[in-house]
Amino acid sequence: MTEWFADNFVSILNGLAIGSLLFILAVGLSLVFGMMDVLNLGHGALYLIGAYVGYQFTGGVSSWSGFLTALAVAAVFGAVAGLILSVATQPLVGRGHLDQALLTLGVALVVAEVISIIFGDDVQNVVAPPGLNESIQVFGNTYPAYRLALIGVGAVLAIIVWLVIEKTSLGALIRASVSDREMVSAVGVDNRKVKAGVFAFGSMLAAVAGVLGGPVYGARTGLDETVLLLALVVIVIGGLGSVRGALIGALVIGQVESLGKALYPDFASFMLFGALALVLIVRPRGLFGSRVGAG
Amino acid sequence: MMQPVLSRRNALGVFGLAGLAATAGCGSSVGGGDNGGGSSSGGGGAIKVGLIVPQDGVYTPLGVDMKNAWDLYLDQHDGMLGGYEVETIVADEGEGPDTGVPAIQGLITRDNVDVLVGIVNSASALGSAEAIAAAKKVLVIANAGANAVTGDARNPYIWRASFNNAQAAFAMGEYLAGQQPEGGVYLMAPDYAAGQETFVAFKESYVGGGGTIAGEALTPFGTTQDFQPFLSAIPGSGAGATFVFYSGGEAVSFVQQYASLGLKDSVPLYGSGFLTEGSVLEAQGEAAVGIQTALHYSTEIENPANSEFVEAYQGAYDVLPTCFAVQTWDAALVLDLALAETEDLTGDSVSAALEGLGEISDSPRGPWSFDGQSPKHIEYLREVQEGDGGLINVVVEELGEYGQ
Repeated sequence: MTEWFADNFVSILNGLAIGSLLFILAVGLSLVFGMMDVLNLGHGALYLIGAYVGYQFTGGVSSWSGFLTALAVAAVFGAVAGLILSVATQPLVGRGHLDQALLTLGVALVVAEVISIIFGDDVQNVVAPPGLNESIQVFGNTYPAYRLALIGVGAVLAIIVWLVIEKTSLGALIRASVSDREMVSAVGVDNRKVKAGVFAFGSMLAAVAGVLGGPVYGARTGLDETVLLLALVVIVIGGLGSVRGALIGALVIGQVESLGKALYPDFASFMLFGALALVLIVRPRGLFGSRVGAG
Repeated sequence: MMQPVLSRRNALGVFGLAGLAATAGCGSSVGGGDNGGGSSSGGGGAIKVGLIVPQDGVYTPLGVDMKNAWDLYLDQHDGMLGGYEVETIVADEGEGPDTGVPAIQGLITRDNVDVLVGIVNSASALGSAEAIAAAKKVLVIANAGANAVTGDARNPYIWRASFNNAQAAFAMGEYLAGQQPEGGVYLMAPDYAAGQETFVAFKESYVGGGGTIAGEALTPFGTTQDFQPFLSAIPGSGAGATFVFYSGGEAVSFVQQYASLGLKDSVPLYGSGFLTEGSVLEAQGEAAVGIQTALHYSTEIENPANSEFVEAYQGAYDVLPTCFAVQTWDAALVLDLALAETEDLTGDSVSAALEGLGEISDSPRGPWSFDGQSPKHIEYLREVQEGDGGLINVVVEELGEYGQ
């Protein structure tokens, strides 16, 4: 057992790093979908914006100021984009997921095309800040320091989001909206404001994830689709509208993508959807989605 | 050498939204001619050439290189090929056969071109072979490297001025068999036609030359962002070297992760040349230094044609040319030579002229000739080094000539 653990240590570690990134990416999508029943297919495009903001401000040079500026700019960009998306999807409330998907996918296509026009289609590299852009020894294995830091950042963000949602009155309002939107309206809360707030917050996290993911995945065309797919799988596995679900889903997919592929490389192509299918068979509403009727 | 990646449509189809996205993902457009005129003035008459390169999607950088080289060749030759005044009609190949094949058909039927040049994606080349044969128009391929294009699925009108997938892998296999890295070689490639052809060709020469395979992994094509799960198996396999075939975005991720997981210093990395070719090399940065690859071209090849070509290309576009540019340059070159020999512009005459060319002596890649309908050329062993203006592929040695 210990030998097995030692052999696969790097894969497990890597699964945690990828899981952290996926959590930051997916939690916003989960809250927006679970809470307001809005399927935002533009979520991947927000990540892509973040990735290119990261590239723009670091520009292949390792620097903390550039990296932190990128994070701040991406956060603002994401929040504003979230507000815009929230307003844009407002008229579509009650018209079903397909209309929302059509609108947000259209926005995503436009964003991806604009980015491709501005930055071209070459693959761009985002360098981790100084001190993190090298590899270190972890129990005799060489591992990129940046990915270790990513695990920490993911953990901190998970705790913050969890505290806000579970322990504050704002969080109570959000949870109440997830559970029963109409009732929250009935007691005099403007649903649209809650939705706009959650949308802005979730979109901000997606854009921030783009910057954070830059040193791992780089910035390039097509990345938006890839991460959107991963985020959708994560929230379907975790269950909609649940922070805990998004976290568990992200960690599961992180390990599936990393440890799973390392152990069974021949099944690498099917692993992601295999896990998805398995969860859907056993728990059709996702691991933590039983409270929610959305979907 | 490249096949379509997971598209927006495939990704969303999983979630039952295929229908909705079906029309949204493909932004194909057909550009107009850029060498206006084209009336039948001049002694030898005029020829319409359909240049089909990707202007949209992941292969756009290749398309840019290819069009640059084509324009440069015509600029330097007064817009003439073999005495014919050239009218170029550009069409967008897009990413895959879904856009590439209709674009070729459009050039043939609507624009009524005499000759076709270009094609990045092998599937587009294979998919349009029938239409090309029926129309009896010559296509000179400037990239698409699947062996079948000029092998099993050969037809007399499709010629290739680029390479075939097996060549670089076969050459590198022979070289590594000679080196005998202790513990054998670990193989990795994306799981699609070009990756599989690479495996087959490498094993044929390397195992045939007495080498041992320490392990191998075919990674899911187009969806693999993180190679760590596969890379982590390499140290345990005891391999003394790794040989891979990756290109584009995957090449960037792979090379960076190979370095960041500490493998670069312990297990030397070898590859087919696309691993470190063109814009990907810049994005890989420091992580690429020391990688050795085999390819039919490098900007550092020393011959008069190449120095002239590199200088002219840099002067015109302010970047170093890539193998994709050279392949298109050579497509123009062989057409120039062949058209000078033909009586008329029918596919049969042009094909016959191409067949009779013999050695093409003044190509930037060095002398080459058609072996069947695909090039027989020198494969160069190249090593990534720090140059004056950034990273370059320095030629270490010539690995010999390789054909179809």
